[in-house]
Amino acid sequence: MKLICTIAWRNILRHKGKSLVIGIILFTGAFLMTLGNGVISGMAAGIEKNIINGFMGDVVLMSEAQKSDNILMNMMGSSIEPITTYKDIKKILAAQPYVKRYLPVGKNLAMVLDESASAPGYAYLLGVDFAEYRKMFPDNFTVIEGSYPATGRRGLLIPTFARDEFYDFYNLWFVPGGGSVVKANLKKEALANLKTLVVSTSVVMMGMTSGINTTNDIRFPVTGVVKFGALNQIFGHFCLVDIDSYRECLGYFTAADMAAQVPQEEKKLLDMEGNDLDSMFGGESMIVSSVKKAPKIKVVALNQGKLTEDGVYNAVFIKLNDGVEYGPALEKLNKALAGTGVRAVSWNKASGPIGGMALIIKGALFLFVTLLFCVAVIIIVNTLTMAALERASEIGMMRAIGAHKTFIAGMFLGETAILSAVFGGFGIVAGIAAVKVIPLLQITTANDMLQLLYGGNFFHPLLSITGIVLTAFQLLFVTIVAAVYPMKVAVNITPLDAISRD
Amino acid sequence: MNIIEIKGLRKDYPLGATIVPALRGVDLTVAEGDFMSIIGPSGSGKTTLLNVIGCIDHATSGSVNVGGHEITALNDRQITDIRLNKIGFIFQTFNLIPVLDVMENIEFPLLLMKKPAAEVRKRAEKLVEEVGLKEYVAHRPSELSGGQRQRVAIARALVTNPDIVLADEPTANLDSVTGASILELMRRMNELEHTTFIFSTHDANVLKYARRIVKIKDGLIEQAPVAA
Repeated sequence: MKLICTIAWRNILRHKGKSLVIGIILFTGAFLMTLGNGVISGMAAGIEKNIINGFMGDVVLMSEAQKSDNILMNMMGSSIEPITTYKDIKKILAAQPYVKRYLPVGKNLAMVLDESASAPGYAYLLGVDFAEYRKMFPDNFTVIEGSYPATGRRGLLIPTFARDEFYDFYNLWFVPGGGSVVKANLKKEALANLKTLVVSTSVVMMGMTSGINTTNDIRFPVTGVVKFGALNQIFGHFCLVDIDSYRECLGYFTAADMAAQVPQEEKKLLDMEGNDLDSMFGGESMIVSSVKKAPKIKVVALNQGKLTEDGVYNAVFIKLNDGVEYGPALEKLNKALAGTGVRAVSWNKASGPIGGMALIIKGALFLFVTLLFCVAVIIIVNTLTMAALERASEIGMMRAIGAHKTFIAGMFLGETAILSAVFGGFGIVAGIAAVKVIPLLQITTANDMLQLLYGGNFFHPLLSITGIVLTAFQLLFVTIVAAVYPMKVAVNITPLDAISRD
Repeated sequence: MNIIEIKGLRKDYPLGATIVPALRGVDLTVAEGDFMSIIGPSGSGKTTLLNVIGCIDHATSGSVNVGGHEITALNDRQITDIRLNKIGFIFQTFNLIPVLDVMENIEFPLLLMKKPAAEVRKRAEKLVEEVGLKEYVAHRPSELSGGQRQRVAIARALVTNPDIVLADEPTANLDSVTGASILELMRRMNELEHTTFIFSTHDANVLKYARRIVKIKDGLIEQAPVAA
């Protein structure tokens, strides 16, 4: 072994140029793989952290009737099945020691109505009790205009992303009631058309659910505009609305409920929605230069205690205590919740393609590095094969004086292994160093696309031992694959070949 | 006692559709401890005969017994073991391992045999001294003259105490003075180590060093080995 290593090492030094070419390829591959793994791991961890801490918690309860686990960004029109047993569920959740917090939510798609638009647009609605929501996700977004709806009042919080989308679709710029246009927050195109900008302080939505045909057109007063601290481009699809308005919009109240819960004076307004939809838009849109005051529709005062927990939800977001493992927790939850008509699903399944995004990008990176390594293998194979043929006399002479084929094979494998270990090792170390240094640079972004790549607003690559071991294994694989053919060429060189060449 | 016994050895080389006979039925015996020269013009079959004896090339037909082993019936691994343990080679163009120094080149076959390090070093040092290269042990082949390289090759060929040393035109690339010194060294080693030496040449001046001479022409032994 020592002899093989000695000859291999000295041959590397003897053929410095070739060794350097192979070494640079191996270094680059190992460096990119390590750094890439770090970026992807950081992204995955960032997405996980932001989804768990900022949007849906660790575990999501959904109806057993719900076919797809993905309830975050499901296909347009496919509704989330209702949960009607929250009161029972709440008691069970309260008894689970590993459950930290929970938040029942309504979540479905709503059609956004506007008389000036040729086709209706859509928005995801997240119906919540705002007070509970703030306890569950205290700092996931910032209210940049207006405010949270006052306790017991109806209202809608529009994320900046959704507001921009609405502007693109309707040419309407939503501002909180009583607020004004904040130029700094205007979309670029809206700023360019400031003089003719049409603003609105409320939005009319109609719930969309399959199987329910009693959805209503509801005018939601905009109380605030929010920007999520991270992944605004994903979370910004969801307009937050008080749970009672949400239920009305989605038709989750029975007629009896409506009669019991809505005061007479509001009933008139609800009737008007059905009979005279167009009238709802008349007073709400305005030219910015002649801003009118608050919308004509009154904000409905609600009886909070009666409505909230008896009604329909679509999901329950659950945060687990720190350090609790998902697998056993899900198992226990599902066991405890048996008979309540719901099932517990982990956040990454419930978040559908968002949770799988890290995996997709990881796959893409893996493919890229695999291609890089394939090119590396071809170059290394070519270089080593040429080296084997150039050294036919030397190899043949070694065979003549008694070196077995295994010795020759070992010599070539040794050369490739040393190159891989030295240059690939440096590549891995450089990759680790880069992963460690990047967070120190405090790179942050407000750019939505970059936030997807970063897994949040802070670029923080992470590297696990598994990631490093994976890279080392890939390097080992490349080494072996790259050495196989040149080894075969070398071991087939006979002593006679050496003599013939002389 | 004969160390080599060859009967009816034929070696044919296919050249396209044509078969070129290099050896056409060679019968030869070599006694242990002999110092024998195979002579003949270029293309006569000297090198082919040496290659077959040295297990470097395969016989097309016939019997070749080297050190008690019928080599025509052996597989690659067994043949390699015979080359390692029974035969030493000195090639025309020195053929040293360029990345190893003099001492390491001499030690190389012993290291392949996985001999203990102390034994390897002791044996190599003895031979370095015998071939007169004690001051050059740390030199690489590229730092040596042709004669010095051939001395290293002789030391390497002898380091395993082989039964036979085969040398194919060992002086062909050397000037006459150096060539003579190499042959004298080989002769001396033959006497010192009692190793059988067989070398080929087409240089008549070399013949005076041989104890026995075999003439070969057109792939056939022209006359039985004679004492020089």
